[in-house]
Amino acid sequence: MTDLGNIALWIALLIGVYGSVVGFLAGRSGRAELALSAERSVYVVWGLLAIASAALMRALLAHDFTIEYVAAYTSRNLPVFYTWSAFYAGQKGSLLFWAIVLASFSAIAMLVNRGKNRELMPYVAVVLLVTITFFIAVMVFASNPFERLGFTPPDGRGLNPQLQNPGMVIHPPMLYLGYISIAVPFAFAIAALASGKLDTAWLAAIRRWTIMSWLFLSVGIVLGMWWAYVELGWGGYWAWDPVENASLMPWLAMTAFLHSVMIQEKRGMLKKWNIGLIIGAFLLSIFGTFLTRSGVISSVHSFAQSNVGWFFLIFLVLAGLSAFTLLSYRWPQLAAESTLESMVSREAAFLFNNLIFVVITFSVFWGTVFPVLSEWVRGTKVTVGPPFFNLVNIPLGLLLLLLTGIGPLVAWRKASTANLRRQFIWPVAGMVLTGAALALLRMSDAWAIVAYALAVFVTVTVAQEFVRGTAARHRQYHEAWPLAVVRLVGRNRRRYGGYVVHLGMVMLFVGFAGLAFKKEMEVTLKPGQTAEIRSPYGHVYRVTHQGVSQYEQLNRFVTAASLDVYRDGKYVGVMKSEKRQHMDSMGQPTFEPSTVVAIRSDVREDLYVVFAGSVQGTEEAVYRLTINPLVWWVWYGGLVLAIGGLISMWPTGRGPKIVARRRALEAGYVARVGA
Amino acid sequence: MSRVSGRSALAALAAVLLAAPAAAQIRAPQAPSSRLPAAQTAVAPGPPQARAPGDTSRGRLLAPEMAGRSQAPVGSRVNDSLVKMIEGKIRCTCGCNLDVFTCRTTDFTCTTSPAMHRVVLARLDSGMTAPQVLAAFEKQYGEVVLMAPPRRGFNLAAYFMPFVGLLAGFVIVGLVIRGWFRVRPKAPLEGAAKAEPEAPAASDDDLKRLQQELEKFEA
Repeated sequence: MTDLGNIALWIALLIGVYGSVVGFLAGRSGRAELALSAERSVYVVWGLLAIASAALMRALLAHDFTIEYVAAYTSRNLPVFYTWSAFYAGQKGSLLFWAIVLASFSAIAMLVNRGKNRELMPYVAVVLLVTITFFIAVMVFASNPFERLGFTPPDGRGLNPQLQNPGMVIHPPMLYLGYISIAVPFAFAIAALASGKLDTAWLAAIRRWTIMSWLFLSVGIVLGMWWAYVELGWGGYWAWDPVENASLMPWLAMTAFLHSVMIQEKRGMLKKWNIGLIIGAFLLSIFGTFLTRSGVISSVHSFAQSNVGWFFLIFLVLAGLSAFTLLSYRWPQLAAESTLESMVSREAAFLFNNLIFVVITFSVFWGTVFPVLSEWVRGTKVTVGPPFFNLVNIPLGLLLLLLTGIGPLVAWRKASTANLRRQFIWPVAGMVLTGAALALLRMSDAWAIVAYALAVFVTVTVAQEFVRGTAARHRQYHEAWPLAVVRLVGRNRRRYGGYVVHLGMVMLFVGFAGLAFKKEMEVTLKPGQTAEIRSPYGHVYRVTHQGVSQYEQLNRFVTAASLDVYRDGKYVGVMKSEKRQHMDSMGQPTFEPSTVVAIRSDVREDLYVVFAGSVQGTEEAVYRLTINPLVWWVWYGGLVLAIGGLISMWPTGRGPKIVARRRALEAGYVARVGA
Repeated sequence: MSRVSGRSALAALAAVLLAAPAAAQIRAPQAPSSRLPAAQTAVAPGPPQARAPGDTSRGRLLAPEMAGRSQAPVGSRVNDSLVKMIEGKIRCTCGCNLDVFTCRTTDFTCTTSPAMHRVVLARLDSGMTAPQVLAAFEKQYGEVVLMAPPRRGFNLAAYFMPFVGLLAGFVIVGLVIRGWFRVRPKAPLEGAAKAEPEAPAASDDDLKRLQQELEKFEA
């Protein structure tokens, strides 16, 4: 089976090259049979990669330690549940995972468009096949997951304990799905440029793909934050690590695109910009892969250093050069169909929203690569950590939050004074009152005050939109209020799904701002001894150390320290934090002991307990106690964000609006206002 | 496990002695493991037994080597906010990418960050101010030891570039918009002509009404 997997990779490489060449020829010549052959190549490559993936999965489950990858990332006593994680836990497996997911997306894209977009599809197949073939080539020539050892070890090294967490079973695939699915919109954008078919067809084809990419990235990022919070034990969820930044940058670019594409759909503007954003998002996803695999920037998350980084760098440069060369070639054909009519319009608001997104993307990119730049220019290493990113990105993020509220309030084309007054009066009143109230309550952090005031501003804008829309339906159709809400959202999923996403963002910002009031302390407690920590809300948490117990569980030896917890004198329960020493199947310790934190969470704050260790092998324990305000809002904000994304991409059962607009234009009953 | 099995009889005795006073309150233990000596499984999983008020006796762990690095009792200045602030600005040199405070309080396995913590305390004790402590670390390890580049020389580019980018973005967007206002075509563009037919003539009243309708629609 292993040999079959290896052979499948080689054949997939050859078919990938064949399909890419044939697809290109089909695009140039317009010959249908060549186009069909290229599309079929995508299916064949998918089948071959599925065989290779099945072979690796079988080797992992069967503990075939003759394969270097299996020996490096699994052991006989690794729970089967986590064997799945081992598939993508290492460099080699993750390359195969990336390739099979991309091939699956490519096959779906071919299937969905089999009777449509005939001029685009040969080029779409080329771009997707070239990308898949690149990943296969990296595997075959530099990082083969089927590489054999010269001997058979009795057991494998096992999976890093920090990866043995349910969050890690879901989080990396989600991020991968997000990164990888960007390739499909990128392929359509390049196909539109290559074929010269620059109308709205390619936009219609990628609409759901873009929302899906964005959704996967969003869920992947939030799950990653959750994993870091519950597993790593440092008491936070975002450390501005280069690999975290690598996932944030394409998300920012995609979010910018999801806003600016509306202007292209409604007004025929920003065509160059939108193609540029899609290209940028794809390149950033490859850049993120380069960062994690090259070792050029040190990160706690990155794979071991290897030479595959150079492959990605070369691919990145070639893809960027080709894409931007094509864009410049088609530049004159991408002129706007209409112009901005007023600075006080939704188009203008979206322009500035896009500007802020791009500037934040740039600032994250700049901070991430600055250490390398500094070393090149001055020969001096520097560290660019959270103090830098917080300093630069907090004001930009708040500016973005402000625009999140402003955008939906301003009318398309041109907003009148009456429109502005009507739209802004309640949100602004809410914002000012909140800011004033928090200042009067002597909230100590100015940025937090601004964040909460803006959060109220955006929330009121969204609430206002829902209330007015629902009331209109209630009046017009005499629908009951709940039915009116459901139909309001159902009939305009993209718009109201977007508003739900805005609410999710507000919740995330509320959670982020809460970190300004974090409190932490370290204590040493003998059994029966007590410590107190006061939360920013004034609650007093009293913890009493019960003692330390040790026991064996699954593939680990656990040392658990327990605390009785009281809030304001009322008993709330026991919290147990652990040190886990993972063992191999022969009972020998593997890896460093890992920490399992204890978290008691509610809507206001988390009590976060870390058992640091015992004092000289006794039951006397060192704890770190942390009060993290408003973390709950981050996780549920992520959930709301995902729900909003799902609403937006849910099929309506009707043709896309672009089609409706085109038909309306063809029918000639669209008037130009103010032209 | 073989390391502790030789001491199993003694450990079993110790465990029984430790567990006996409150044996009645022990929670149901997990099924004993076949690989663990009896002494270790005698200690119940989950929260240990409740103690009598005021009982702060501390038992010995049965397998202390399995409980991570042995800790020293927390010093009186560990929770000092000035110390935390300084440590938050210094990078641990163990290679973890974290600041000293975060590193030494995360897995509590690093030996470098506690040593750097002691240096911070010693420097503060010697009368240094926070900036002087940071400067001393920078002198010792170079700029890389600071969690953010010091704001001088070439490093200023790190801080200014995002805002220069923002400013440049505003200028570019402004210029583009101005261009749109200036070059607003009198006739539709060639490409748009096919897609968007000439608008029907509309009177001022029609346009006003349409504006009102559009505003209503947007609302």
